[in-house]
Amino acid sequence: MQKIDALSRKLMAESLRHYAKENLPFDTLRQYDGENYFPPQKVKEIYKDLGINLLLIPQEYGGLASSTSDIYRVCQELGRIDLGIATAIFATFLGSDPINVGGTEEQKKYWFTKMARENLLVAYGATEADAGSDLVALKTRAEQIIKDGKITHYKINGSKMWISNGEIADLYTILALTPGGPSWFLVPKDTPGFTQLKHEDKHGIRLANTAGLCFENVIVPAENLIGLKEGQGFLQAQAVFGYTRLMVGALALGAGQEAIENAIVYANNRVQAASPLSHKQGYMHKLIVPHYIKFEAARAFIDKTAKILDINNHGQATEGAIAKYYASRAANSAADDAIEAFGGFGYTKDFPVEKIKRDVKITCIYEGTSEIMEMTIYRGRWQEHLKTRGNFYLDMAREMENIKETDLGAKALALGLKALSEVLEECRLNRLTRHQYITFELGRLIANAEVAFALVKQAKSGQVVEGCPFNINIIKTMARVNAKNVSLDIALAGAKLVNSALEIPSEKDFYITEITKESVGLVKDMDALSIVLRDMFRN
Amino acid sequence: MDIIVCLKQVPNTAKVKMNQDGTLLRAGVPSILNPCDHFALAKALEIKKKTGAKVKVLSMGPSQAAEVLRLALALGADEAYLLCDKAFAGSDTWATAYALSRAVKKIAPFNLILCGQMAIDGDTAQTGPEIAGQLNIPQITFCTDIELKQKDTLLATKLIEGGHQILEVSLPVLITLTTPHNFALPYPNFKAIFEAQQKPLFTWTPNDIEADVSKLGISGSPTRVVKIYPPAPKQKGQVLTLSAEETAAKIVKILQEHKVVK
Ligand SMILES: Cc1cc2nc3c(=O)[nH]c(=O)nc-3n(C[C@H](O)[C@H](O)[C@H](O)COP(=O)(O)OP(=O)(O)OC[C@H]3O[C@@H](n4cnc5c(N)ncnc54)[C@H](O)[C@@H]3O)c2cc1C
Repeated sequence: MQKIDALSRKLMAESLRHYAKENLPFDTLRQYDGENYFPPQKVKEIYKDLGINLLLIPQEYGGLASSTSDIYRVCQELGRIDLGIATAIFATFLGSDPINVGGTEEQKKYWFTKMARENLLVAYGATEADAGSDLVALKTRAEQIIKDGKITHYKINGSKMWISNGEIADLYTILALTPGGPSWFLVPKDTPGFTQLKHEDKHGIRLANTAGLCFENVIVPAENLIGLKEGQGFLQAQAVFGYTRLMVGALALGAGQEAIENAIVYANNRVQAASPLSHKQGYMHKLIVPHYIKFEAARAFIDKTAKILDINNHGQATEGAIAKYYASRAANSAADDAIEAFGGFGYTKDFPVEKIKRDVKITCIYEGTSEIMEMTIYRGRWQEHLKTRGNFYLDMAREMENIKETDLGAKALALGLKALSEVLEECRLNRLTRHQYITFELGRLIANAEVAFALVKQAKSGQVVEGCPFNINIIKTMARVNAKNVSLDIALAGAKLVNSALEIPSEKDFYITEITKESVGLVKDMDALSIVLRDMFRN
Repeated sequence: MDIIVCLKQVPNTAKVKMNQDGTLLRAGVPSILNPCDHFALAKALEIKKKTGAKVKVLSMGPSQAAEVLRLALALGADEAYLLCDKAFAGSDTWATAYALSRAVKKIAPFNLILCGQMAIDGDTAQTGPEIAGQLNIPQITFCTDIELKQKDTLLATKLIEGGHQILEVSLPVLITLTTPHNFALPYPNFKAIFEAQQKPLFTWTPNDIEADVSKLGISGSPTRVVKIYPPAPKQKGQVLTLSAEETAAKIVKILQEHKVVK
């Protein structure tokens, strides 16, 4: 089977960008944002004109069977355009995932062919009023209807909340409890007893339709149980969590980049105190440069994880959580600072940064909140720390120490990783992870460390990743700055974290003195990056 | 009907800055298909749609230039050829036109060659006409539209000072095209991009096109660039907001001061 190659990915991103430029300029998006409405036929037009919906459909059924890398590039580009529209498209991807993961050949053939031919909008219905982060509390039920000793149908009762494309989808993939456990069902829109509620009036992504669903004795044929076997629902959902969360990370990355690039262009043109804002060091080092460094770190991490998923398809749950958590937070603080960088203009609806700021918040909520991500990251890596007897991050530190190049920040990061290992070990010895607060903060430190590691490794490889707008020397500078910042944060925050839950202070120093010295040269590097960024994003 | 379209990959000059020495600062600047070439390709594909013509695309450049050929294939071109070799590097428009005309002969038969009016990185508008010269076929430059009239005649709408000129020409001919205002350049959908991976894209060296290497590259290029510099910025003009008579009198006075009139 033929795969989509790197050049095609680039062309797809370009086609998408041009499509948006022609059909979805900011003024249009702004108007829909105000109306809290985006016509569903416009989403279908995007499907029809670009064939974006074909990405998740296998080739034998008229699709393109794209890899994680393909979808990630497209999601990142969608994030740049509008996160609401991106969500409508992403929900279609999500909705077809259970079929991809758990569907029988016959189900795949029937539904995918239909999706490809009719450009179906799909919704993914898991969340309920009382089952959000905690899906186990699921209440929607699917009862068996038995005839002549055979299950012929299921009868669904219950309700869903916060479902993207809720009012407008043609097909719904619904999680419901069967006697054998949670299972996914395919429910077409016009099924009797199935109603959609009015869509929500949201803070952001107002071009995305989000609505509740009600099921009153909704009868679907037994063939609509995905995989034809009860109780597979959670497994089918979990199998793709790594991948779906990576995609939310990509959406956030796109939106964050768009916000900061807008801010740089503005700063190049806005003159205050006799020179453009982009020539002011404090402004650039505070509001602009740190964000772009984080975007490149996120990109390196997402790209690395996507390449693993290209081969394995499933798994990478901790990595997906790291990608989502890191990119969504980076994008949120970037969007916030983008408004600051615009001053008063940024606070109006006349510039895209205001809308991005509202939109991008969702990336910290759906597909698992940031807190759930911290929990997931902590759990995944805590196991590794125990299993390897503290060597998990020490091995990574050794890898950094073995890097001969002195300009990648590897030495600083090696210290940071050792500090992280020490923090984890102190937590273990003092049984501090009984504090949920500590586990959350560990999740944050772990995410920062692993993303920094990915960026240094990319810099070391001498090759920038696809979609990266910079040359390798700039990536090296970014890797260096990021490694120093992250390591210092691990040492300081780690020390505080450990001591804050102890009665007597820890004897460990978490390499603070050594790491602090690594900060030498940061300002010079930031100065260089500042010039690169302002020259790169003009007009 | 066989159409050959010449394509060039160029830095997106909308985003380019100048070095101190006047050359383009290309680092980090995305590359695009030269817009006029993109338009020429769109026109070729229109003819293909109507007549079933075969469209072949040709480019000379580094291996990265395969990108614009792949874009052309995704848009509907049938075959692509990339002239890519160290020997081609540094060619001026004359050496480039020589290489491209050799390639055209190799790709032949052809009835129509389309080029963009000029590339946005060099702005010379020489390569197209020089290809026609080297192939010894007629050419019409600066066209905004073409239409196949019969099997072997074509109507070309040429942009001239103050209007358009419509020319009828028999094939074969080389036309250079310039993008009219408000023409939305086409971009391919995802499926077409995917399918283009399977279409033929050949990479040729001077050997493949039987080119005389001494006529290629820097040594084969008669052009010598002495200096590149941005033109001095124009000084701010003077605006007169007097009555008509007073303005006329003032202008005459200024012209006299500058000794333009006595
Ligand atoms: C615009 C939008 C679109 C959506 N689209 C879809 C969709 O298409 N399909 C779908 O199935 N769902 C969708 N969702 C639902 C989304 O996934 C959930 O909102 C999300 O998982 C959080 O669940 P919740 O809203 O119930 O919040 P809660 O789970 O109630 O969380 C509230 C707060 O408590 C924290 N918290 C939760 N549990 C714990 C804990 N154990 N310990 C500590 N803190 C905790 C959370 O981090 C959060 O800060 C969408 C939501 C929105 C807003």
